[in-house]
Amino acid sequence: MKLERIILVASSLALAGAGATVGGFSGLRYHERLRSGLPNLGMVSCVHCHQRGLDTLPWAKPRPHHDAPDGMAVSPDGKTLFIALNDRDEVAEADVASLSVTRRVKVPGGPFGLALDATGRRLFVACRNQDRVAVIDTRDLKELAAISVGIRPTDVAYCLTPAGERLIVPNSGSNDISVLSVSPLLELTRSAGGREPYAVAVSADGGRVYIANRMAIHDQVLSQPASELTVLDPSNGHVLNRVELHSAHLAEGVAEVPARGWVLNSMVRVRNLVPITQVKDGWVMSTGVAISKRDGEVTQVPLDEANAYFSDPSGIVASPDGKRAYVASGGADVVTVLDLDRLGAWLAHAGEAERSDAIENMALSYQYVSARIPTGCNPQHLALSPDGSRLFVAERLDDRVLVVDTASLKPVGRIVLGDGGLADPIRLGERVFTRARYTFQGQFSCRSCHPDGHVDGLSYDFDGAGVGDNLLANRSLCGVAGTEPFKWNGKNPTLQYQDGPRFARVLMRTDEIPQPQLDELATFIKHLPPTRTIPWSRVGQPLTPAEERGRKLFFATQRTDGTPIPVGRQCQTCHRPPLFTDRLLTSVGTQGAQDTSGVFDTPHLIGVGAMAPYLHDGRAKTLEEIWTVYQKDDLHGVSSYWSKQQLNDLVEYLKTI
Amino acid sequence: MSSHTCILLGAAALLLAGCHPDAPEGSLVLTQTPVGIPPPPSATVLDVRYPPGSRVVLLVPPFRADTVRELSHGLVAAGDPCVSWDGRWVYFAGKGTDEAAWQIYRVNVGGGQPELVTRMPGGAMDPSIAAHGELVFSSPVPKAGRLSTPSEPAALYGQMPGHEPSRLTFGTESAVDSTVLRDGRVLFVTSGARGDGRSPRHLSLFTINNDGTEVTAYACVDGGEDIVRRPRELGDGRIAFLASRSEGPGTVGWAEFVRSSAPFATRSSLFAFHGAGCRSVEPMSGEDVLACIETSAGGGRSMMRNAKVFRVGADAAAIGAPIFDDPQWNSIEATPVAARAEPNGHTSAVMPGAPYGTLLCLNVNDGSEPAADGNPAPAAELRVFASVGSGVRRTLGTVPVDSDGSVIVQLPADVPLGLDTLDAQGHVLRHQPALLWLRPGENRACIGCHEQRNHAPRNIRPLATMHGPAHLTLNGPTTVPHATTP
Repeated sequence: MKLERIILVASSLALAGAGATVGGFSGLRYHERLRSGLPNLGMVSCVHCHQRGLDTLPWAKPRPHHDAPDGMAVSPDGKTLFIALNDRDEVAEADVASLSVTRRVKVPGGPFGLALDATGRRLFVACRNQDRVAVIDTRDLKELAAISVGIRPTDVAYCLTPAGERLIVPNSGSNDISVLSVSPLLELTRSAGGREPYAVAVSADGGRVYIANRMAIHDQVLSQPASELTVLDPSNGHVLNRVELHSAHLAEGVAEVPARGWVLNSMVRVRNLVPITQVKDGWVMSTGVAISKRDGEVTQVPLDEANAYFSDPSGIVASPDGKRAYVASGGADVVTVLDLDRLGAWLAHAGEAERSDAIENMALSYQYVSARIPTGCNPQHLALSPDGSRLFVAERLDDRVLVVDTASLKPVGRIVLGDGGLADPIRLGERVFTRARYTFQGQFSCRSCHPDGHVDGLSYDFDGAGVGDNLLANRSLCGVAGTEPFKWNGKNPTLQYQDGPRFARVLMRTDEIPQPQLDELATFIKHLPPTRTIPWSRVGQPLTPAEERGRKLFFATQRTDGTPIPVGRQCQTCHRPPLFTDRLLTSVGTQGAQDTSGVFDTPHLIGVGAMAPYLHDGRAKTLEEIWTVYQKDDLHGVSSYWSKQQLNDLVEYLKTI
Repeated sequence: MSSHTCILLGAAALLLAGCHPDAPEGSLVLTQTPVGIPPPPSATVLDVRYPPGSRVVLLVPPFRADTVRELSHGLVAAGDPCVSWDGRWVYFAGKGTDEAAWQIYRVNVGGGQPELVTRMPGGAMDPSIAAHGELVFSSPVPKAGRLSTPSEPAALYGQMPGHEPSRLTFGTESAVDSTVLRDGRVLFVTSGARGDGRSPRHLSLFTINNDGTEVTAYACVDGGEDIVRRPRELGDGRIAFLASRSEGPGTVGWAEFVRSSAPFATRSSLFAFHGAGCRSVEPMSGEDVLACIETSAGGGRSMMRNAKVFRVGADAAAIGAPIFDDPQWNSIEATPVAARAEPNGHTSAVMPGAPYGTLLCLNVNDGSEPAADGNPAPAAELRVFASVGSGVRRTLGTVPVDSDGSVIVQLPADVPLGLDTLDAQGHVLRHQPALLWLRPGENRACIGCHEQRNHAPRNIRPLATMHGPAHLTLNGPTTVPHATTP
């Protein structure tokens, strides 16, 4: 009797348990189906909706800071070097003779670009992280004044014009250029730049300023991109010229050679329209210098050689006598010395066709490259003493400044700013990220396509099973932590997988990055914070009315007339906060003629305002185009009921994410 | 002596024999050939180069005849040594008996018995070491005087440690004299007609990846003497090699180089001085080179002039004194024994078993040479043919060319392929002999036909990507897509 009771109870419990399990599972699946809007729940699990909080992600946590040198300015007497330490919120002053740091001063906001006035008494500091320009008295290093400018200023130039003193500030995040008066410190105007105005140089006569725009812009996804050299009148900010540098991007440096009437831009020559069947012979990209003459003619010439590459050219300076130019190659740890007499002779001798094709001729540079100076890790900014006798090279990831005697082209020593951060795995990962030696012949680094970890605004036709059928837009790595899987087809579960065997085969064409370095690289990428797309002054502030209307549209569950929007077509379902992705594959009706599948990984939207172009192949130039040009049957969210004003509101909201 | 002592001594001797002490710093490996020994009948190129009695030796400092240690003992002839990247092993071509084929052996620099590494029918020669210890060599060994005109061309093979060799080259001409560049590519010598038509046979330098993909001309295609041998990458990045007018027995060359920065435009003499002939050039530390150079004939050495070992500085105006000369031998090859940085590897995209690769030509009208008869017409079709052995050419078919000159076509893998561009009337505009091959699954691209060397492509989207590729097989035409106009 007792046994029977036990069996009965056990059976009842088992049945109840089984029932609860089946019921619970069914309920769970119902809940998942309801909330995801997906009929097929194969890959869906709780974590796709119930995500980690942003504050738990690596990029949201405190990290070590380092003494990486960024922009530099040399005093008129050549005795003092000022060095921006963006990561420290400091500016360092160094004595050139003794190669020692004499003073350091806190300058809030991430000092990045520096300039001195003609007397050397005032130092102007472009602070990238907090959108401001500070004026520092070089005698006591006290801040005299400061002013807000556009988003992420990366450089500053001082200019004495007939109308008075001017500061020219390229704002890389808002794609414009601030023109400031100095006394008083006021923003006179803000001129439209290209995409990511990045560096500025002043003409010798002070009548013009030249702004290098880092990113390329293209009309359509399969049209040739071009970055812009913006020429401004510094007195009033009027745009004098917009010089197109075809297929040039990462144009981070600009210098004038007055003796020759040239403006030089360091640049990467991209070949993103050509399927990546190989890397050899600069098939994906190569590096060069664009020479813009006063008559508007532009000739691009290679920095690379037929079998050696010098990736990620950045800072460029020209000697006062116009005989030499120096270009820092951040991916190759090299400064290239150009003999401008020989380059000028070649230009004078070459026919139009030769000049037009020069950038494709990888065997040309030996005719005008006179030296390659090895440097420490990731040289970016350069500065030259006023008499041209000393070249200063910011070895960014070594926390040092290399000082080169330009007569002998030999190093005379280094100004040591920090310890290089070798104990910090994030820093080690950044070294992997910026080094080109992991690709065949050192042709490019991770940074070549992901400057600052972000996008380059281009689409590339990756090697696959076929040729010409794998056109994919570059995706930002900023804020990517927690958004796995990766790749547009969602096949790569981890960053290590994405950047290891896959990239070795389709891109790097060498051995895989060794596992320890691959882990460091993944650590660095996970610590890349999302790109800020709103002015610093608006961070933490409430949304504007338009943005708020856009937010409501984003989270709408019904149309304006009250008609319910299917769960699967609500913005928030796939782009679910806080990551703004459910990390699932979705079809939004964008399959192209060459695509083998119409199902793509749902990208996260944090920083989406700066991620153009959009959609998996980059066909949408703007956020608006996603719905005005490429929307199909309301598959990419129900948008057919939106007015133009509502679309504008939505876009305004998206730019705040 | 007790039996225990004998056992202990025996064990110690065995242990010592198994130990391979490193060579003293600054040691060299030499090939020494005896004086006046004629090659055997029906000789191969190696029998001529390394007559019976030739040996590979270790030469330790100070470089005297009595500091020579033979590494190839037990073999009837040996030569062409190559030192592994860790500096611990010497690979060389050797012959176990008079009748045996030449094969690749390896021996520890510290000594020991040479170990047979290859067992290739027809023999193996020209060892070099790629990343991860992969041995690259040529096989079979061509008959003497027929290096560049064999009926059975020597191909390059790659052999990872503990694995079977796999074939890397599939051309119609011999691929020999391989060396591995620091960027991981295999540089080798093969032949083809000169671009200027002055000579029917002309040896040039080509490269492949270490999986046989991306076969590409590297240098010496046009101009210069017709015969090149023994390319080596020097410490400063230049490629040194031996050049001569002919490849007959006893012919020696002189050392030349090209700069890797512009290899098609910089062919020059390596040395500022003139010597009777150069037998080998190898990189040393820094920018110096190690060279075996012939000087005036010495007593008893008239058959092969007196080859000695020299260390030559980059800017040396004169040959200077040899660092080694053994009057009993000709020292024809010398290479330093030292650990060096291993070359880069290459992650292969080859798909074993795939029957085809895919070729993209961006613009078949883009060429540095004019079309036949100066015909200015753009190409309408691309005709593809394969060399299927003994000079037999089989046409695979034609594919239409898009209006921008681009073509994408899938072609059979591991077959020598040639291309003709045809105008609308079927006249040949440009002809490329069967120098190209595709590995299984390889996606390969070129800028044009007879394109300019060392050029990157223009950043233009080829129209051929707007439709699927054409497919041609060895068994006749298959699907051919329509061409696109913009």
